[in-house]
Amino acid sequence: MHTAHGPPMSVRHSLLALLAEEPRHGYGLKSNFERSTAGTWPLNVGQVYTTLARLERDGLAEPTAPTEQGPGARQSWRITDLGRAALAQWFEAPVALDPPARDELAIKVLLAIAADVDSVGPILVRQRAAALLRMAELTRAKAKADPARELPWVLVLDALLLKLDAEVRWLDLVAARLAARGPA
Amino acid sequence: MSAPILQLVAVERHFESAGQRLRALGPVDLELQRGEFVAIMGPSGAGKSTLLGLAGALEHPDGGAVFLDGQNLVALRGEQLAALRRRHVGYVFQDLNLVDGLTALENTRLPLELDGAVRRDADPIALAALERVGLAALAHRFPAELSGGERQRVAIARAFVGPRELLLADEPTGALDSLSGETVMRHLRAACDSGKSALLVTHDARHAAWADRVLHLVDGRFALDAERIRGR
Repeated sequence: MHTAHGPPMSVRHSLLALLAEEPRHGYGLKSNFERSTAGTWPLNVGQVYTTLARLERDGLAEPTAPTEQGPGARQSWRITDLGRAALAQWFEAPVALDPPARDELAIKVLLAIAADVDSVGPILVRQRAAALLRMAELTRAKAKADPARELPWVLVLDALLLKLDAEVRWLDLVAARLAARGPA
Repeated sequence: MSAPILQLVAVERHFESAGQRLRALGPVDLELQRGEFVAIMGPSGAGKSTLLGLAGALEHPDGGAVFLDGQNLVALRGEQLAALRRRHVGYVFQDLNLVDGLTALENTRLPLELDGAVRRDADPIALAALERVGLAALAHRFPAELSGGERQRVAIARAFVGPRELLLADEPTGALDSLSGETVMRHLRAACDSGKSALLVTHDARHAAWADRVLHLVDGRFALDAERIRGR
């Protein structure tokens, strides 16, 4: 289920998914990936070619034959049967939830509690304010977006907003638990 | 700039419990400008609903003053107070906002009728209010024939019907799914963008994020927080 190679956000599988639609060249993969994800996770072309080389090495994708291309055309790639199987497996498997990603905020709060519990309050307040400001920015972007025409962008905004919402709830819960515990 | 639609000055509220005087709220100051949308967050028992009740003159403060459209509510009593409230303020709660036996249109025109308008004059005004929340086509449906989100949009239409310009909402999206809740917030935002004002109590940061300001109420006082969150 886990990929041995590649960054945590699977560029490998994203490229396979795009190649499963039709053969594409490197730049086409980059621009299609960015369009599908509303430009939220920019991909550089070097990363695309490195990943394509790995996909070829593992038998998941291959260069198309020169006869299938016009003269001077850029090299295109297509998915193999093995690649389709790997892609199907990726779509079927839930995204790995364990171990949890390292969370700088949680670590900061826990270390602050360990060092001096009275120092935590201002950290919570500042973080809460920062999260709400960011949520307001994202909400303004959502207010302007058309969910029918810009679905990927709206879904990205939903995901980012829900993550920040979870952060705000967690900060409130930390405050409530510290208050329930009484003065140190 | 014209006077704020709502102004709370050093407002306090206490409760008696077992012979003890407990502070529920304040002293707090709050100004709501016309066209402004303010969200109030905070833990249960922090005084959020008390603040909303004082703002809408549903209860009286033990100290301080509340000005609605420049008039001190604390000095008003009885029918004077009721009339001022009716003309300026609409409430939206989590549920039970609408009268079951009345259609969306009849619910929406109710405040106008209570204020003495005849049906012939009130209907087009109520219909315009429903139109603004995208529900003109459902004007003749009864609450039971509407979804939860649609019922809350009718409640918003009624809160802002005719000259009414201040909406006080207590967890209006609490019982709704995410998408219906968002739709309600979109309409509330649009109303404020067109000059109406709203004070929203919510636990949900996603809904508070539609506001111009988010205030955090803790133990009856405003904590330093994300003051102004929209560039205007």
